[in-house]
Amino acid sequence: MSVSDETLMAYADGEVDAATRASIEAAMRDDPEIRRRIAEHRALRETVQGAFAAVLDEPVPQRLIDAARGHKAPPLGNVVDLARARRAAAGEAPGRRRSWQPVAMAASVLVGVALGYLGWHNSSPWVKTNSSGELVAGAGLAEALSNQLSEDRSPGRVAITGLSFRAKTGDYCRTFSSTGTPASSGLACREGDGWKIKVLAQSPNATSNSSNFRQAASADEPAVRTAVEESIDGEPLDRAGEVAARQGGWAAAPRR
Amino acid sequence: MSTNESAETIQEQIVALLPRLRRFARNLVRTPHDADDMVQIAVERALLRLDQWHSDARLDSWLFKILRNAWIDEVRSRGRRAKLFMPEEAGENVGEASMEREIDRLSVEAALARLPHDQRLAVSLVLVEGLAYKDAADVLDVPIGTLTSRLARGREALAAMLRPPQGDHS
Repeated sequence: MSVSDETLMAYADGEVDAATRASIEAAMRDDPEIRRRIAEHRALRETVQGAFAAVLDEPVPQRLIDAARGHKAPPLGNVVDLARARRAAAGEAPGRRRSWQPVAMAASVLVGVALGYLGWHNSSPWVKTNSSGELVAGAGLAEALSNQLSEDRSPGRVAITGLSFRAKTGDYCRTFSSTGTPASSGLACREGDGWKIKVLAQSPNATSNSSNFRQAASADEPAVRTAVEESIDGEPLDRAGEVAARQGGWAAAPRR
Repeated sequence: MSTNESAETIQEQIVALLPRLRRFARNLVRTPHDADDMVQIAVERALLRLDQWHSDARLDSWLFKILRNAWIDEVRSRGRRAKLFMPEEAGENVGEASMEREIDRLSVEAALARLPHDQRLAVSLVLVEGLAYKDAADVLDVPIGTLTSRLARGREALAAMLRPPQGDHS
């Protein structure tokens, strides 16, 4: 009996139906070659499985456990709750609920740190609320987002722009990071005549002695990365693409 | 609230699956640290999409799929980032001839890393993670026949690389 190797493989993996199994087992009785091939498949399976078994015994990094539970691990940046940041930027009292969970309390502390650092008020160079109550780039950040190319490494920048891309909505979006300490970064998209803040994250432990490091890190903030990957349409803009988009005032392209 | 409770239950199930997600990610990217970064990205995405998970589906398959898609996104954008990720070419340039010339017996990890990524993922999901063919095919978004043939080719190549040099098989 001639049996294809794929069939023998499937048999060794327990993936054949009862009829096939019966015929292979009948063939095995008469044919040592078939027995040898099945044994090889099983041995390889054990070898490969064994090679990676030890990973399961390693301690899982706390940051992954935190991520799975929906908490943000400090070393990789804290996402600022935009709704809360918006209220704070608008000068409102932070929320009306009385019974916050401990997680929410911790988050509010982090937002507080961020607000304190960034100096959230309507004259902030970073973020402000527009007339619709949306969080948008303040004058300084908007200036950088509108004019600065991502390769620009000139000193004295207010913000560092990371990568630029066209979102699935047709809008142009850019990642940015602060040049200050603690470092913060985020994603802004051009909507209308302003830059709307989509994600804001901060890395309390990141040092910004070298602004070049922040440039590298800007798009690597997991929350920012995730937001980029969720919204990007195609590839990020290269230098020529940024120049062209800037010339067009970063006006949205027609929706595909 | 019951919805919050069920979300928390799923979160704890995800925590329990982290060791396996980390193991799968090790077969995607070069270093353990980068693998953990991939897991973190995947887990964060999963939490954003919990409403897309149906409780009759396997949670592990669903997470493997998100992880695999996150990795594909990373591979696509790797040109603009640090060279974190395992180059596909490393596997694809290894032809039959060079495998046969391989003199040293490779470690299983090194051998697996040399497979083209399609085969590597099939081998990793079925042989390492123990997924059924249909579940692995679902993670990879391919028909089961494609999964089977990738798995067969991957196994054949692995066996050739891992075979002791004194072996008399051709």
